[in-house]
Amino acid sequence: MRRLACLLVLCACSSGAPEASGPTDHLIVAAYTAPREAMEDGIIPAFRAAHRARTGRDVIVHSSYQGSGAQARAVIAGFEADVVLLALAGDVDKIAKAGLVAADWRAHAGQDGTVARTLVVLAVRKGNPLGITDFADLRRPGIEVLCPNPRTSGGAMWNVLAIYGSAGNDLTAVRDVFANVVVMDKGARESVINFERGIGDVAITYEQEVVAARLAGRDYDAVVPSPTMIIDVPAAVVRRPNSEDNPAAAELIAFLTSPEGQEILHHYGFRRLDAPLPPGFGIDRFGGWPRAQKELFGQSGTLTRVIEEGQETR
Amino acid sequence: MTLGRLALRSAATAFLLLLVVLPVGTLLHRTFAGGLGPVIAALGSRVAWSALWLTLWSAFAVTIINALLGAVTAWVLVRYRFPGRALLNAVIDLPIAVPTVVSGIMLVILYGPQSPVGAFLARHGVKVLFQPLGVLVALAFITFPFVVRAVEPVLVDLEREQEEAAFTLGAWPYATFRRVVLPAIAPAIVTGSLLTFARALGEFGTVVIVAGNLPRRTLTAPVYIYGAVESGEPQAASAMSAILVLISFVLIVLVDRYTRRRQRERG
Repeated sequence: MRRLACLLVLCACSSGAPEASGPTDHLIVAAYTAPREAMEDGIIPAFRAAHRARTGRDVIVHSSYQGSGAQARAVIAGFEADVVLLALAGDVDKIAKAGLVAADWRAHAGQDGTVARTLVVLAVRKGNPLGITDFADLRRPGIEVLCPNPRTSGGAMWNVLAIYGSAGNDLTAVRDVFANVVVMDKGARESVINFERGIGDVAITYEQEVVAARLAGRDYDAVVPSPTMIIDVPAAVVRRPNSEDNPAAAELIAFLTSPEGQEILHHYGFRRLDAPLPPGFGIDRFGGWPRAQKELFGQSGTLTRVIEEGQETR
Repeated sequence: MTLGRLALRSAATAFLLLLVVLPVGTLLHRTFAGGLGPVIAALGSRVAWSALWLTLWSAFAVTIINALLGAVTAWVLVRYRFPGRALLNAVIDLPIAVPTVVSGIMLVILYGPQSPVGAFLARHGVKVLFQPLGVLVALAFITFPFVVRAVEPVLVDLEREQEEAAFTLGAWPYATFRRVVLPAIAPAIVTGSLLTFARALGEFGTVVIVAGNLPRRTLTAPVYIYGAVESGEPQAASAMSAILVLISFVLIVLVDRYTRRRQRERG
């Protein structure tokens, strides 16, 4: 698995041939999969232009996209990224624990380490024929729900927490919804693609995924349940022992939270940091990531158990 | 000469050590370093056991299916000349050549609701995707070439005269097959089946897309391992991996003994 991860990292490096002559800077970004389009088509070209305008030097950004947990493990195992952009702060904390991100990384970027936000939403068929408005509707018998597997996709923990939190931390709500889940894909993108292929009635996904799908010309509706989970997307500079930080790393994170960067992220479906948010709740409601990951999503975590129970009642 | 042979032998042993023994040894060492207790605890969940059970029975079922289909396919390819034979011959290896993720996507498109095949099956109440049946279909697809390619060369070498002699001596086609052909190709079927089983046991890329990964229903052992790694539980992952490795190892030893015995019998 680790070998595969390293291969992926090597293969996924991409973007940007040198244009300007003279010295060039290099920057390696380790990101999760959802912001791929926003980064490749929006942020990176704009960042290169801004960097050239400011320093007169070209910067080549090598970026890799894979699951947030796999990305965190790759960095800990020695993947020499300068910046991480991940699906959950818990994964950045893991890198910080290994000493490769400053322990106080939250103080250095955006709002408390967050550079953008998105929401857990429900993708439904065009015209919402089943009249789905809320997570409670997913408990109705006979509805086919798609949700990525939180064991294989760290980001899917957001989806499960959304069901759990919206029902006032009621475990039976999660069990009922998972009795209707017909596919638990490996990751968020796979789940959306299966929904686009006509499988299922509802996909529990992210607002940003729905916008990305619309930008790619695919068409379906989405409803924002109220309340829903508000997802914080963290970024941090990776520190190498015995070597100086790549100055372009902090510059990229500053660019992400600049008005120009926020506008680009917004275009690709993320919520700006200064944008008003619908009624919702964050990870604090569940005691923060370390606690949620251990007590709710561990091998014998309460939500892991309830998901299995839900599957058994099908 | 002796020196050269010694060097060759050391090189081969070193390669085997480096490529096979070390990684497997590391896995087993890591798994059993704390004794059996943590291993049993790591596999203590019902999800782990049902994943292992699903993987074992589906790999076994697919091995039986492909042993039969593979032997028949090899027979047809070797004994008959028909238009399109060369093309069929080339197509057989595709499941090995195509990346497993692509195989998975092909199957999801084929059996999905938007394809005529998927829609037809759905109208008749047959669900393939995200069911144990989907796991079987995926495994059968990716392991199809193994028995065919193991049996084919043996059939080519088997002289047709032997079959014809048996036939002219009054043996029915079935008797000819059972007494003459089957004994000759049986070792090849066993070897091909072993490869089929081992591959089915470990298949991840296709299954993770086709199965739906529902715990206690369609979650296989390799996907369970991936989930344990992703959830930061290396102990559970290596415990399950060690079990798969041990099962494969025991099977290989058994088959090796079987083929040696046969070789001795045949003199």
